Amino acid sequence: MDLFSLSINHHTAPLEVREKIWFSEEEARSSVHRLKGKFFRECMLFSTCNRTELYAANPRGHAGAADLSGFLIEMKGAGGSVSPDHFVAKDSEEVLTHLFRVAGGIDSMVIGDIQILNQVKEGFRFAREERTLGPVLNRLMQHSLRVGKRARAETSISEGAVSVSYAAVELANKIFDDLSTKSVLLVGAGKTGELTLRHLISKGISRIKVANRTADRAQEIVSTHGGIVVPFGQIDAALSEADIAITSVTAAGPVINAAMVARAMKIRKRDPLFLIDLGVPRNIDPEARRVDNVFLYDLDSLGTVVNRNLGKRADEIPSVEAIVKEEVKHFVSWYSSLQVGPTIQELLTAVESIRSGEVQKNINRFNAEDRELVDLVTKRIVKKILHQPIMTLKQQSENGSVRGEVLEHIHALREIFGLGRQDYDE
Amino acid sequence: MNFTPAVDVLVIAMPLAYAMLIILYGRAFFAGNRKAEELAPRALMTVVLLHFLYVGLRTAAFDHPPVTTVFEIMTMLALCISVAYLYIEMRTGTSSTGFFILSLALLFQVTSSTFIRDPGELDPILRSNLLGFHVTSALLGYTAISLSAVYGFLYLLLYREIRTSNLGLIYSRLPNLETLEKMSYKAMVFGFLMVTTAILIGSIWLPRAFPSFSLWDGKLIGTMLVWLLYAAALTANKALGWQGRKTIILSLLAFGCLVLEMSIINAFGDTFHSFQ
Repeated sequence: MDLFSLSINHHTAPLEVREKIWFSEEEARSSVHRLKGKFFRECMLFSTCNRTELYAANPRGHAGAADLSGFLIEMKGAGGSVSPDHFVAKDSEEVLTHLFRVAGGIDSMVIGDIQILNQVKEGFRFAREERTLGPVLNRLMQHSLRVGKRARAETSISEGAVSVSYAAVELANKIFDDLSTKSVLLVGAGKTGELTLRHLISKGISRIKVANRTADRAQEIVSTHGGIVVPFGQIDAALSEADIAITSVTAAGPVINAAMVARAMKIRKRDPLFLIDLGVPRNIDPEARRVDNVFLYDLDSLGTVVNRNLGKRADEIPSVEAIVKEEVKHFVSWYSSLQVGPTIQELLTAVESIRSGEVQKNINRFNAEDRELVDLVTKRIVKKILHQPIMTLKQQSENGSVRGEVLEHIHALREIFGLGRQDYDE
Repeated sequence: MNFTPAVDVLVIAMPLAYAMLIILYGRAFFAGNRKAEELAPRALMTVVLLHFLYVGLRTAAFDHPPVTTVFEIMTMLALCISVAYLYIEMRTGTSSTGFFILSLALLFQVTSSTFIRDPGELDPILRSNLLGFHVTSALLGYTAISLSAVYGFLYLLLYREIRTSNLGLIYSRLPNLETLEKMSYKAMVFGFLMVTTAILIGSIWLPRAFPSFSLWDGKLIGTMLVWLLYAAALTANKALGWQGRKTIILSLLAFGCLVLEMSIINAFGDTFHSFQ
């Protein structure tokens, strides 16, 4: 199988190396053009924050891993910091397994990362727009996207929050029914706090209050996300009106104590209150969790949620591996059908089935003595029509194996006559 | 036509059908088995249809609907719970509470099938329209109260998991706390109204129908006590602003008393409100 891949990723190189070989969309587009001219008839390239990957098929001549990694390093002018040893090269079926594992999210730094499938999709899109895809990589793209979709639909590989801010949102969704009817109070202007607020807004929360020691910074957050600023000294009153409070303040002691929480709960008639303490040292007195209907989570307890979800995702890896294996098998079976022998055989069978079907359908229109003749004549016509294309295919192939343009011819022939469609439903 | 042999078969088949249903819902909930999850709603539909057939055949075989003894009522209760749950599952599209709710239906059906006997001649007292209303409202009431108790129980489990950051299966599979609380509360209000209706109809019909009627009958006292506990839970929720957990604990206490009352009085109590 003339397939090849080259990857630099979090398993093979540290961030300071990976960032030197990161390709922007524009760089990726121009690189695939040059690769196509020099090494392969089909290629694609994509970069994410954790990996840069090159996939290629149908080589023009002999190109080794060192040539390709050298080419990428040269394209980025990263000779000083990146060496060919940072890359891992694969060929044939190993390429399929690698790409499908990447698309399925099990090769990611965070298992089940849902972004990776979009990035793979983007990589294929650039390549298609730059016309560097051919029959093999086009098919490979369909399969890899299918693996990604199946992994998410048939397993729980992407389920559960795996960051502290998302874990907080997941918990909010387990406490409240409809977040769009709830209100949030953000105390402090820490980055994780603002990120959590952003996630909550994406879930529909629109009633926002922000309190910060520096009013300007609070105003800045409000102008970005909406809501109103409340003076830092009035947290007490604001707490009684909020359903969710996020604290992210740098302070020596708690800014919200248990008595404040108890008072707020009394005013809000014991409606549930979700407190998210993102401060170190903690901003909310841990005693507050004793108050009825109060749900208090600090960084440690949110970390427990994240670890639990990561563990559950890791348990799903074997199920995704099974999908990968299945799709590799499908792809190999499709690739094998691209050979000359099977294609000619399938073509003959397909045309013969049309011929015999039509003859059977119309045979009663002929006299009994002509029927045998009709069968014979139609067979001859079919044979003569197919003679030239079959001979051309046989001559073009070398010992039955195909490369280069012949592969494209076979693919076109199979597409036109719809050969092998019944084997694999798109 | 003699339906008794078919009824005899279904008496044994119904608990088995419910047990299989529980296994399916259990596999979906505890093992996350996707196949079981897909099969469960269809199996539920089949069991409900089978249960309707059983009730229909029983009515035809003995010439009256199965609402005249406590064990006949229990199979009706199991059917009502299943139908109510089927409706909830179709409305919400989630089957995560099925195992817990249908377990209650299984419990009622097993008890019913174990003790149910072919009724003899029907007491003429029981051929009354008022009895129909009394029994229907009591059935609807007890069904709703049972659902409320299961949702309340699940609420407490989830509440505990979230409060202690000890997140497990309950956290992963159940709906959110607010939904569980709402479901429990709404079912409780509906159940309370229906039971109140049953008590009101009973208070009109019973003294007329039974010469031995007494306000100091154990079953009436027990029922009134349970009714008062539910009334207290609803009052505390509305008037005192008791949210979630406290109301649910009180309603679960009431449900516990109800189950206790039904078991003790039906087993040992001397009551006119028994027709076996």
